Amino acid sequence: MTALLCKHKDLLLAVLAVLILPWMLKSGSLASEVLIFALAALGCNLLLGYAGLLSFGQGIFFGVGSYALGILLTRTGMPMPAVLLTAVVAGAVVAGMVGWLAIRQKGIYFVMLTLALTQMFYFIAYSTPEWTGGDNGLLDIPTLPLTVFGHTLLPNKTAWDYYVFVAILFLLVFWALQRVVDSIFGRTLLAIRDNPARCTALGYDIVQFKLLAFMVSGAVTALAGALYAMMTGIAPLTSINYHMSEVILLITVLGGTGNLVASVLGAAFYVIVSDWLSYMWPRWLLVFGFLLMAVSLYLQGGLWGACKLLFARLRPTAAAAQRGEEHP
Amino acid sequence: MNLYFLQVVNGIGIGMIYFLLAVGLSIVFGLLRFVNFAHGAFYVLGAYACYQLMQLGLNFWLALIVGPVVVGLCAWLVERLLLRKVYDLPHEFHILFTLGLAMAIQELVILYWGPVGFNVAPPDSLKGVVMWGSFIYPKYRVFLILFTAVLAVAIWLLLERTRLGSIVRAGSESPEMVTLLRINVYKIFGLTFALGAWTAGLAGVLAAPLRGVEPFMGIEALAVAFVVVVVGGMGSFSGALLGGLLVGIVQSVMTTLWPQGASLMIYVAMALVLLLRPDGLMGRAQ
Repeated sequence: MTALLCKHKDLLLAVLAVLILPWMLKSGSLASEVLIFALAALGCNLLLGYAGLLSFGQGIFFGVGSYALGILLTRTGMPMPAVLLTAVVAGAVVAGMVGWLAIRQKGIYFVMLTLALTQMFYFIAYSTPEWTGGDNGLLDIPTLPLTVFGHTLLPNKTAWDYYVFVAILFLLVFWALQRVVDSIFGRTLLAIRDNPARCTALGYDIVQFKLLAFMVSGAVTALAGALYAMMTGIAPLTSINYHMSEVILLITVLGGTGNLVASVLGAAFYVIVSDWLSYMWPRWLLVFGFLLMAVSLYLQGGLWGACKLLFARLRPTAAAAQRGEEHP
Repeated sequence: MNLYFLQVVNGIGIGMIYFLLAVGLSIVFGLLRFVNFAHGAFYVLGAYACYQLMQLGLNFWLALIVGPVVVGLCAWLVERLLLRKVYDLPHEFHILFTLGLAMAIQELVILYWGPVGFNVAPPDSLKGVVMWGSFIYPKYRVFLILFTAVLAVAIWLLLERTRLGSIVRAGSESPEMVTLLRINVYKIFGLTFALGAWTAGLAGVLAAPLRGVEPFMGIEALAVAFVVVVVGGMGSFSGALLGGLLVGIVQSVMTTLWPQGASLMIYVAMALVLLLRPDGLMGRAQ
């Protein structure tokens, strides 16, 4: 029993987070927002923490998910699960294209290219108003209930209804990603991150591995974007701009990389604190700029790293025993 | 035809500003080995320094000298006080630090000057137009092309003919080898970072009379500088020059052909260059 608990420790923590959020927050949409940005951060974490890719292009996939869902829901009568699935596939395909251009480039070019391509997709969305609504964005996106053969499973009427829907999808994705990072594929990504030359020598096609990780990340981030668009009812230009990429990266780094729970922690911290700060001060982003500098200088493990340090301080033996099975 | 010629000449002016941005980015990357995400923020600071100094009643020429120097000093201080602490950390944290710095600078600019932009008038001596036969052209843009051409030569001389330049170039090839020659590369890191910020600040001052100042101009500039570096090839002076001019001309000509998509075409051009020449036009295979 304890062994089983230990094995699924991270998943249990995610379930715990899903259960605690409604208890902590008064607003259902804020709670959904935490989980949606946690999804986006999970996608970014897979790249930064496992594949060693600092991607500035996560906003592209978030926006592609938002727009794909918005266009399909406002123009076609496709059932909602199919629309979500299409948005996810669109995210993966776009990630495949972006990755194909960017991953062939080594090191520093990758970061610069992902930022340049983020701008490119922003301008694509901006210059095709007949599809994306241009400056105004797509408006009046409906929030549809989840129905199977005419039976309504989840009504998605109130904000808390929607939270349940998002929470189920979030837990499914978390579980799947946990399986991915624990698989041989995930371990190979870590190996590629730590020593690309040796992996190439061992016969791994590292570009293929990174590209696959990139597509998984794109799919997850697009799901986040689609869920966000359905929640807010709009797909604005801000869902695909530079700032979105910045925010997703910020959440991931604040939470900490290399562990999936860390991204949930980062998302909760960012969404709740920014919501609270934005009531008081319009320039709240300044706080996060300084926080990002402070984390880079003094706390590279992010909030998750800080929690681990605290845990080790409180229970030295338990932490030492645990260290053996942690992700590096 | 005349219209396109005009746009090409416009593009050369804008392209030279892009070249300045890209060459600064390249110099910093060459020695310090990370991409400075605060480069766009330094450009914004330069532009606002120009606006502020002219508001205080100083003339443009003084702003042109003082503005970039102030930006360079700020960068030097940041490097001295904070940035040096991240050198030992993994590479990502250098980039993330400068990203945080860029966010902080942008918010501080909004905090001080407000989110709405301002127009900056060109100096009185450069107002109006010059005429060569049927060709009419704004004086400020003529000045821009001439001045940046002189600057390009000066930067080239600095990199190729001075001791600092040779250390920067050698350091970007192999920092270990330079250290073995009893040159402390770390000592000139601050100077290099400040030099990079100085070029960004200068680009900002020069761009201010063309496009006004606003707090979000830095992101656009950063992305364009990346495009120029990717197109031209990192660490290559001629690449930055060629890339900058190419991007400037593409943007300028597309403004007449498809105004809404002019900015988009820069990135399409970049993608095309990458497909044809993955290492950039002037880049060497890595």
